[in-house]
Amino acid sequence: MKEWIIETRGLGKRYKGRYAVSNLNLQIAKGEIYGFLGPNGAGKTTTIRMLLGLIKPSGGSIRIFGRPLEKDRLSILRKVGSLVEYPSNYGHLTAVQNLEAIRRIIGVPASRIDEVLAIVGLTKEAKRPVKGYSLGMKQRLGIASALLGNPELLILDEPTNGLDPSGILEIRELIKEMPRQYGITVLISSHLLSEVEQMASVVGIIRRGELVFQDTINSLRTQSQSAVTLRVSEREDALGVLASRGIEAAIGAGDSTLSLGSAGDAAVALAVKELVQSGHAVYRVEEDRKTLEKLFLEIVGEDGSL
Amino acid sequence: MGFRSFLGLLGAERLKLSRSLIWLLVPISPLLAALIGAMSNLTDVPEASRYDLLQSTVFMLHALLLMPILTGIFSSFVCRYEHSGGGWKATLSLPVSRTALYGAKFFMVAALLAAVQLVMIGALLAASAVHGITGSIDWQSALVSLLTGWLACLPLAALQLWASIGWSSFAAPLAINVAMTIPNILVVNSDKYGPFYPWAQPALGMLVQGGEQNFGAFNLPLENILVTVGCSFVLFVAGGLLYLHRKEI
Repeated sequence: MKEWIIETRGLGKRYKGRYAVSNLNLQIAKGEIYGFLGPNGAGKTTTIRMLLGLIKPSGGSIRIFGRPLEKDRLSILRKVGSLVEYPSNYGHLTAVQNLEAIRRIIGVPASRIDEVLAIVGLTKEAKRPVKGYSLGMKQRLGIASALLGNPELLILDEPTNGLDPSGILEIRELIKEMPRQYGITVLISSHLLSEVEQMASVVGIIRRGELVFQDTINSLRTQSQSAVTLRVSEREDALGVLASRGIEAAIGAGDSTLSLGSAGDAAVALAVKELVQSGHAVYRVEEDRKTLEKLFLEIVGEDGSL
Repeated sequence: MGFRSFLGLLGAERLKLSRSLIWLLVPISPLLAALIGAMSNLTDVPEASRYDLLQSTVFMLHALLLMPILTGIFSSFVCRYEHSGGGWKATLSLPVSRTALYGAKFFMVAALLAAVQLVMIGALLAASAVHGITGSIDWQSALVSLLTGWLACLPLAALQLWASIGWSSFAAPLAINVAMTIPNILVVNSDKYGPFYPWAQPALGMLVQGGEQNFGAFNLPLENILVTVGCSFVLFVAGGLLYLHRKEI
């Protein structure tokens, strides 16, 4: 049996008779990067607040590091680093002082402050008051704070929210390194699949407070096999040519396109060869890369307006 | 949570306040008190009761209005950074118990108030020096007054801390505190309501020894004040703690 770092059973949170989160069974294994996905308002932050003991669940149980959160909250939190919703810091203090305030509470050696500043690349800006920081720098300071106590588990709630593309890339690279270099398990929430797709090993998708998918990212990929589209001249004739050669195809969605479905490399090569040999022009051979995102949208349903 | 981690929490609270302007508020009330004391007219007063009158004059504005108001400001201030930057979430995601966090905040307010009372000794000395009666300072009366005034502010600190934890607004708890403090001017004169009105206790505690004010609630014995202060303290701390424990962060 796997060792679960986070395991929830039937976890629920009710606000005024309405469930914000219900019957949630999360299972997060050691050393994984777990992408916690769902549209805004699906219950991601509510779940994370329960995992940190900031709010009390209306039902169900939470075990972190195999121990019940309710009983062992303080000793569990000692090994957890977190960043909830937006980075919180004291604007009138410098980055070093902000980290020092946390360091005094968790009691790690002072040298650790320089270490985490170096990890997030803030060493140069460390002596400036935080109120003059850009959002990206505040976000990085938030991650530095989360790393300060040498955590075994990192819980990051939308850490790339509001960042520009280069900031997103930077944070992503940073998070990818966590399990590899430090053996840290990571739970990262996002409303964008594309954002966690490249780093998460396992994804959980939450919709209206319920977990509707939880498996490896590869299993999600196989469910969303990519479709190959051809753009050709005289589409109907071309379809006839392919059909006569026994190649399955259909009229595509775009102008003069044919869809080959999830055909393998050999099948695509054959189709192109046959078309060219029978005098058709092949303008484009495209793989529809959006299908994973589409599947995600299907899973989260209509309210997943992205 | 052990004692050492509580000390760490206190250290963190101190650091948060260290670069703020809150410390500038500490000497304001004593400065005003020294000024009022220095400008008071003692010429027609018999020599024997000069000091008693001076001490009451110096403490009057402070005990009646400024100290209860400062208590509210300090309480709001220690919660301000948590409300503005999402600090409640960040702090309580650390291995920190809510009781300890409340304790650390309360300690900071109490320490700031104690600092004000200490500076007040300087104000009393300065005013006495101006009138040339430094030699007749009744230290026992002065120190008991300052200590009682400080103790009488602690229930207010607990109540204001409760309000400040609940309200993310900085001004709302302050406005209520000021609105509750101003009636002091009337309430202390009432032997019916004065003993039970929390905002009036600092004045009753600090000025009761004055000698001149033997009317209204002022002629109550010190024990009476301490009972009111003690009971309201327990009530307000319990309320604030219960509230913080149930608060959804």
